[in-house]
Amino acid sequence: MSEIPVLHGSTKKERYESLVAAFYQDLFRYAIWLCKNHALAEDLVQETFLRAWRSLDSLLNDKAAKAWLFTILRRENARLYERYRPELVDIDGQSIADSDEQEPEFKMDRELLVNAIKRLEADYREPLLLQVVGGFSGKEIAEILELNNNTVMTRLFRARAKLKTEFGLDSEEAND
Amino acid sequence: MNEADFRKRIYSNPLEPDQETLEQASGDPQLRKILDETQKMEAEMQGILNTIDVPSGLKARLLAIPEAENFNQGAAHTTTQTLEQLAGKPAANANYFQYFAIAATLVLALGVSFSLTFAPTAAPNPAEIAFGNEVLEHLYHEITEIGAINRGGELPAVGLPMIRNAMAPVGTQLTASSASMAASVKFAKPCIIVPAFDSAHLILQSPQGAVNVFVINNSPVSMEYSINDDRFSGVVIPMDKGNMILVGESNADLSEYKKLFAENVDWVI
Repeated sequence: MSEIPVLHGSTKKERYESLVAAFYQDLFRYAIWLCKNHALAEDLVQETFLRAWRSLDSLLNDKAAKAWLFTILRRENARLYERYRPELVDIDGQSIADSDEQEPEFKMDRELLVNAIKRLEADYREPLLLQVVGGFSGKEIAEILELNNNTVMTRLFRARAKLKTEFGLDSEEAND
Repeated sequence: MNEADFRKRIYSNPLEPDQETLEQASGDPQLRKILDETQKMEAEMQGILNTIDVPSGLKARLLAIPEAENFNQGAAHTTTQTLEQLAGKPAANANYFQYFAIAATLVLALGVSFSLTFAPTAAPNPAEIAFGNEVLEHLYHEITEIGAINRGGELPAVGLPMIRNAMAPVGTQLTASSASMAASVKFAKPCIIVPAFDSAHLILQSPQGAVNVFVINNSPVSMEYSINDDRFSGVVIPMDKGNMILVGESNADLSEYKKLFAENVDWVI
């Protein structure tokens, strides 16, 4: 379940600020996977929060705030960038911080993982990232993606099965 | 529950398996191994994906949105209010508007006369002329690309991210508007026109041939002025925190592109 900021009893500006503080990092990290570029991801997050500010009064249930923001972000991405999205990916290197403290083996795993996620079909990648980056439950992902819960669970299963196969951890194909 | 069902449950939500799944795992070493491996991989994945850097200024920009919006709304409200006020009193204010219009016309006419009579002849200074020559000279570094674009071949378009990557060192950004997206950009690279300043060079394919667009973060020139040589002609335009230069073949009309880039290039640094 995603975390919930304290929004009750606040002014509109305070509600907005608590939304920014609680969710802007997760939104950016998800955005960069959607539009595959730092500058576009920043634009996308700004556009998302601009829309959120304008329609904040329509957010009646604070528990739904995070899913609401992710839904806005996905729609804005479709509206603004999806048609123009090139197959240029700058997620490697620039976007994922290198740390000298990490073990060399861990670094290799990271590159493998990022490449493996990039190779997943969008139908599998999106629910996986919503779960891992967004911290959403299967039910919340189903609402954001406008799918039924079983479909989401199946896609999550297949996404992980494919990743495990790529990592050589699992010889079984995701064929359920 | 067979192994396939077990995997399905674990893979769907690895870090929060239900009680039945946990019980199955505790009684079967093979299932336990699957659970442990999956949870280890999940923890690593979460760690890796959450190391994506978030731009340091992003939060401040997001927090500034309400203020910017209120400012915009305030301005819009004032304009609307003023228009409504004026629209509500047409008869009473009719004479006032006539006098106001005559006075405004007189002021405008005097201003134009003063400019024509007393304004010094505007011309770029020698440093600005030299800068224009540097830009023209730089074009010949990319003459192969310009030639290919002029020949009208099916060259691949450069996407917005690559354009932005080229423009970012200059501190500029191309807005993702429908107009800028429609521009057929075939080349986008950082370049050096004047050492110590960053610049970017875009080349567009247009019906009039290759149109070159440069942005550079040197000091804005004192005025807009034309540049040309035997082959190319263009214009140097002072902008917010630098300059934009448009250059095409000598007969090209650049006015459309001047408007397009003036409206869609933001100086973000």
